[in-house]
Amino acid sequence: MTMKPEDVLRAIAEERGDAVVVPTMTTAPAWRTIAPDDLSVACVGFMGGASSMGLGIALARPERPVVVLDGDGSLLMQLGSLATIAGAAPRNFAHLLFKNGVYHTSGSQRIPGGATVDFAGMARAAGYRNAYTIDNLEELRIRLAEILADDGPVLVELHTSEAEQTPMTAPGGAPFSRQVETLRDRLAAGAEA
Amino acid sequence: MPESIPAPLIIDTLKETFREARQALGRDSAHAAPSDRLGTILSVPDTHQKTVLAALEHEPSIRVLTCATEDEANAIAAGLYMGGEPCLLMIQHAGLYASVNTLRGVAIDGRVPIFYIIGLLSRERDKDPSESRSSMVRYCEPLLDTFGVPHARLEGPGDLHYIPEFYNLSRERRGPAAVLVGLETI
Repeated sequence: MTMKPEDVLRAIAEERGDAVVVPTMTTAPAWRTIAPDDLSVACVGFMGGASSMGLGIALARPERPVVVLDGDGSLLMQLGSLATIAGAAPRNFAHLLFKNGVYHTSGSQRIPGGATVDFAGMARAAGYRNAYTIDNLEELRIRLAEILADDGPVLVELHTSEAEQTPMTAPGGAPFSRQVETLRDRLAAGAEA
Repeated sequence: MPESIPAPLIIDTLKETFREARQALGRDSAHAAPSDRLGTILSVPDTHQKTVLAALEHEPSIRVLTCATEDEANAIAAGLYMGGEPCLLMIQHAGLYASVNTLRGVAIDGRVPIFYIIGLLSRERDKDPSESRSSMVRYCEPLLDTFGVPHARLEGPGDLHYIPEFYNLSRERRGPAAVLVGLETI
């Protein structure tokens, strides 16, 4: 069973509260539309950097929840980040992995290992506090609030279909450099509030 | 002739650099992440600087986060920057080569200030790095030049001032800057 990634993103948007969100690749265009705000920074084109970027934000601001919207192909490019994240053990870190089995942006080529790769298992083995697999929207809606409220790092492997848009078919959004400064100012303003 | 730099001198310089960075952030509203820590070093362990890494294990004011790759370290640095945490990368020249795309995408195109302390493992004491028999040593500075990354050599204790200077330069230019550790630290 799989979920439409846009439906998953809408469910996440409803529960994220004041969390910083780091979408990457095919989650980025839809997230821009579903949840446009200054508490998100899209990691596109850095070959798997979303999980690490989210870790940095989580470590700098332990009082602020951080949610990474990762892709299976992206995470494979920086798979060691699972160990780095587990080792740093940020309690405010939720790693939501959109697993569709392909590199959608470049033309839907199958990722190494395809749909059989067990990312939740790898996260658990790396030392994440918890890891789950969810393949239907009803279960996601029931469990998501509790998962996001729980201590991390937690990884949720979400079984999805391909998104309607990719960064190639729907380029846009503010340049990364501007997003960086906007989020930096926003986090500083939040600390003063 | 280059000299090995004692680790305690490097650590004292790093502490002062981070202290000034945190004070500067504090002057700029609340950009500094609240912490009892001075800063974070993102390390993919460099044989050349192993005495510094060993000494840092006993330095509570600086957090050392060991990363699996230099690509990770660059991306984590971006996140720490956004969160207001002073940080730098401590890596080997081989790690620079391994992470060129992230240097380009995050530090250069992304305009994220990232300061690198890069060890020149296998650099011969009697040779200028540009004349080294080791390609990893020989290509390091030309690679940085190709990408327009300002850099300086740490060839002895007298060069330690380059650490705060180039750390601040990375912030001023909103991009990468690097110092190269000529000989193995002691």
